[in-house]
Amino acid sequence: MHTEHIKYDLMDYITNRLSEQERIRVEQHLRKCSDCNNQYIELLATDIALKKNHDKVPTSIYYSTILPRVRERLGSHQQSIWHYGYGAAKIVLPIAVSVFLAVFLIRMPKESLSEAEQTEKLHQAVKDLNEDEVVQAVEREYAGLSLSPNQEVAAVGVAEHLQSGRFLKSAISKQIENEEVADMDIEAMISDLDGEQVDQVLSGLSERNIL
Amino acid sequence: MTDSNDLELVELFQKGNETSFNELVRRYQEKVYWIARRFVNDHDHADDIVQEVFVKVYSALKLFRGESGFYTWLYRVTVNIALNVLRKQRIRDFIRIDEFFETADDVNDQPDAIFEKDEQQKLIEEAISKLPEKQKAVFILRYHEELSYEEIALILKTSVGGLKANYFHAAKKIGEYVSRAHRTY
Ligand SMILES: [Zn+2]
Repeated sequence: MHTEHIKYDLMDYITNRLSEQERIRVEQHLRKCSDCNNQYIELLATDIALKKNHDKVPTSIYYSTILPRVRERLGSHQQSIWHYGYGAAKIVLPIAVSVFLAVFLIRMPKESLSEAEQTEKLHQAVKDLNEDEVVQAVEREYAGLSLSPNQEVAAVGVAEHLQSGRFLKSAISKQIENEEVADMDIEAMISDLDGEQVDQVLSGLSERNIL
Repeated sequence: MTDSNDLELVELFQKGNETSFNELVRRYQEKVYWIARRFVNDHDHADDIVQEVFVKVYSALKLFRGESGFYTWLYRVTVNIALNVLRKQRIRDFIRIDEFFETADDVNDQPDAIFEKDEQQKLIEEAISKLPEKQKAVFILRYHEELSYEEIALILKTSVGGLKANYFHAAKKIGEYVSRAHRTY
């Protein structure tokens, strides 16, 4: 058994989550490998430090408030789109568009498309979209569900809708369940990204002097 | 009702039975709370996430086809929303749009008195918050939630291979961060 594999089992060994067979294998290896032994001692100390942590636990009263508050929010989301007022949305939406475009551009296959060509492709892709598809794509993306290729295209359409203000109107008419429309737009756009891509988006935004 | 399994409750809900949604919330609220809390290290923000998760779940449940189990899907929604809160925070910090949002406030801001933390705990939370997203998620789901690698793979929509390595590197970084901080005190 290669050392790498044993090393990766050490935390599970320390926290008692290995099968009998795996446990024996780790113990046999630890007897003869000083490198893994050092790793083991370090991780053991980490586990002890983590266990010393006493998280303050909420009371059962807290848990009993969750459902009523969820129900209350479910009953009141219709008017929530105006929560921040149209003024705030107008200021934030261009930022949302920028974020979306930056996200779109880094998601595109890199193969030799110029930025103009990418923009052209985006315009092409969204021309025939209907609002239902767009709304559905945003809802699915927001819920962490995967998008079909069609819905990917629809998601791209959000940028167009944002720019033309059509999205805001359709969002209102469809009563998407959200409180912060501009905030949600950003959220839907970045939900598939990992930390590294967020960095790329941020540096892309500052390069373009959008902000 | 309490004895029904999750998918039966989901099906009932999709047929219009509202009580089954309540049961699903009660069944999972504590789990969802703790996953959220591990990510944001703060009771109030965790509470916001719990609210958001169940509001989202209520509408998304209509689209849920049970391809994955209910709780892996629920945890995925939770992890996604928690990561989004952290990402939005980073983007907000960057573009400073806070002033447009009444509710905007820093994740990791002053904890309220009931949830006061000691130095050691702050150090560990800091160490975890500095992990790359995937390592952070794997660490929380494995160490704290004690899920199997197969479950974690489903939740994070990734393959099982590599998760053990993620877990190892996460734990190692936490240990190194804490001991480095102790040396410099
Ligand atoms: Zn070894």
